[in-house]
Amino acid sequence: MDNNAKHHEEFILGTEDWVQAARIAKKCSGFVCDDEDEMVADETVSCYNCRYRRWAAHSISCHRPGRSSHDQ
Amino acid sequence: MRVLVCIDDTDNLDSKGTGEIAEAIAKGIEKQGWGKSYGITRHQLLVHPDIPYTSHNSAMCFPVMTTELHLQDIISYAQDLLEQECAEGSDPGLCVCVPQLLSNQSLLTDFGYTAKQFVLTKDEAYDLAARLNIHLSEHGGTGQGVIGALAGAGLRLGGNDGRFKGKLKIDTPDNTIRVGDILSNYPVDLVQSLDGQVLNKSEVIRLGEKVKKVLLRDKSVVLVYRDKAENGAPCWKTCTKQQLRVY
Repeated sequence: MDNNAKHHEEFILGTEDWVQAARIAKKCSGFVCDDEDEMVADETVSCYNCRYRRWAAHSISCHRPGRSSHDQ
Repeated sequence: MRVLVCIDDTDNLDSKGTGEIAEAIAKGIEKQGWGKSYGITRHQLLVHPDIPYTSHNSAMCFPVMTTELHLQDIISYAQDLLEQECAEGSDPGLCVCVPQLLSNQSLLTDFGYTAKQFVLTKDEAYDLAARLNIHLSEHGGTGQGVIGALAGAGLRLGGNDGRFKGKLKIDTPDNTIRVGDILSNYPVDLVQSLDGQVLNKSEVIRLGEKVKKVLLRDKSVVLVYRDKAENGAPCWKTCTKQQLRVY
């Protein structure tokens, strides 16, 4: 499925900012765990483990339903 | 004979994952009595702005031991299930190949590794599948999933890529286990360190929260790393999810 929509801003987290990704996810009401096989962060509640994150080469973007572009 | 079944691009952000659909196909094949399936592996492909993928661009592949008699049954069953289960907006692809019949296995493996580094096209996938007489079919949307499906089969065939779906459920009172006990009681071929040292059966390892296997040298491998126990003594621990993400 093509989710390359431009309005989904990339996080500035990069692909290995484990602490920050956990901190953001803990405050996020839209966090939903992805399948266990797609989880890469040891901290379960992490943007890196969320089913609404989308991986790019150097970071992830948030595709949470209803998310606004200022809401990271 | 050994058959590889691989699927890609079956999901959207809210649907069943591709792994779940692969599992349903594998179980269905067994239920029909067409063969025995083995562990499903997840193969990471390139993430790139020119590639349409849902969230991570990975393909799921599993081998089936079957007979020539059931090959077409397996293909038809997988096609039907993909068409029933695939999510709106997905671009599913199916690859079914018989490694022993391939005239050149390394062409397929090379395609898999190329798909981890470069953007490939459907035409390239179909050309290779036709050349090697591999079943490759698309089941909705743009059908772009054929690229990942063929690549995933190649990576599985290569035997050195991917994590196995699911985790090992090992329950011990003190959260440790001997390597020999893992090898005897669980579907694991080897326990080895991240730098390639194969542990002998008498070694003891500490179990992390989730124990997963990876595919290396065509074997199911539990990876461990050197750490320190509470008393400061060196010990082996199973790798964390963060350590396994590169597999």
